[in-house]
Amino acid sequence: MLVVDALTKTVPGGRRVLDGVSFSVGAGEFVGILGSSGAGKSLTLRAISGLTELDSGEVRFACEDGTMCCVTRARGKALRAARRQMGVIFQGLHLVKRMTVIENVMMGRLGFIHPLRSWLYGFTDAEAREALEALDQVSMKPLAGRITGSLSGGEMQRVAIARAIFQRPRLYLADEPIAALDPRNAEAILNLLQPLSRHNPVVSTFHQPELTRRFCTRVVGIREGRVVYDGSPELSRSELAGIYGIREAQAV
Amino acid sequence: MVPYSARRQLVRRAVGFGLWLGLFLAAAALCDLSPEILKQGLGKAPQFAREFFPPLWAAADEMVEPLLSTLALASAASLLGMLLAFPVGLAAAANIVPVWLRLPVRILLGAERALPEILQLLFFVVAFGLGPFSGMCALAFSSIGMLGKLVGDAIEDADDKVLESLKATGASFWQVIRYGLLPQVLPSLAANALFRFDVNVRSSVVLGAIGAGGIGAEIARSMGMLQYNRATMAVLGSLILIYAAETVSGQLRRRLLEDGRS
Repeated sequence: MLVVDALTKTVPGGRRVLDGVSFSVGAGEFVGILGSSGAGKSLTLRAISGLTELDSGEVRFACEDGTMCCVTRARGKALRAARRQMGVIFQGLHLVKRMTVIENVMMGRLGFIHPLRSWLYGFTDAEAREALEALDQVSMKPLAGRITGSLSGGEMQRVAIARAIFQRPRLYLADEPIAALDPRNAEAILNLLQPLSRHNPVVSTFHQPELTRRFCTRVVGIREGRVVYDGSPELSRSELAGIYGIREAQAV
Repeated sequence: MVPYSARRQLVRRAVGFGLWLGLFLAAAALCDLSPEILKQGLGKAPQFAREFFPPLWAAADEMVEPLLSTLALASAASLLGMLLAFPVGLAAAANIVPVWLRLPVRILLGAERALPEILQLLFFVVAFGLGPFSGMCALAFSSIGMLGKLVGDAIEDADDKVLESLKATGASFWQVIRYGLLPQVLPSLAANALFRFDVNVRSSVVLGAIGAGGIGAEIARSMGMLQYNRATMAVLGSLILIYAAETVSGQLRRRLLEDGRS
């Protein structure tokens, strides 16, 4: 479904931020990427959706027609076609705050509509009804008409998920979907993501291992740009210590 | 030792005032300012006052059309400037265009702002002749100078995360601009354009006097024909117009900015 193959990237200072990151994702998986801040988790996600330039390595993704297309080398139309198939769930702060909730959800399908239509009137009434269903899935239907900037952090995160659902992608990528949330909201968000993964795989980055143990089917641990763990979400103390670069006694 | 001396204070103040007086007299001499001219002018003041006042109320209805022409000129210039300022602002924003485009655009905008509107009007008069059209071009052009820079700054301050999240859905460059960027900068652009409208109404009165038509031309013509009380009537009309424009512009701007906060 998704193959991440030996991604490397060096930043201008000479530091290797990605140093041969490889893993693959199959159907039905909910992969949690763990690691400390700056380990390269978010960068890996950005590389998968073609939002960052790499030194070498490839991201291959099963496109609609079944063939594996290479995201890394795609440009222009081909890149946009690949992006349409991946629903990226950014932190809720990435929404357009001055527009309504339902408009923000419908923007998930901008890549599918004709440029002329997007300038003339935007989305159709049928699309609006569908967006309302997506909002219903994340229990945000009653707030569909609200200005997005007036929502709470947890509510915005739900809207971000609804946008990705509405996009109808074949793969979900979530970047720190619970980083800014309290434990109750964090759990609610994971309860939304988990069922999605049954139909289309979800790859999500996390700071903390507690919830990945309960919700993910697999964990990939990244430390200093390298994959140091790839396996069961039930990590031992020494495996956790290895991911976070701390002594075993400190690992939870 | 008391850190104060009355004598030193006196000397310092005397030197300060002396400096000001010296500079003023030197500058005034260069302007041919002499007591005789002042005396002559002031002597005529009562006579002038009689000629300018009371305003020629009978001409009030004749002022409506030139006032509307001035208002139309300022409105058209502001609306056109607002529309064109967006693409110009895009070209002036570091997060949208490469530096080889941004830098020359910024320099051009700066030069354009440095050029007084009256000079710009003279250029347009050469091209399009006397009249409101040249005035509108001059004001629209100078509006772009200011609004283009402000939009450019607003775009650079816009939230790049929002743009990236749309890019990740597969949206095209222009779709990202329309749905991610425009909603972020439109309220401030509209507010700045309203402020510019207020400025443009004042400017269009001045530009009218030197060839852009409207109420400014009416004032200049009345003066030229020595109908001073008619000129007063025209000035009164433009004062009302300017005051109304300032009030409306200010109210609408406040409402726009309040909306942005909610």
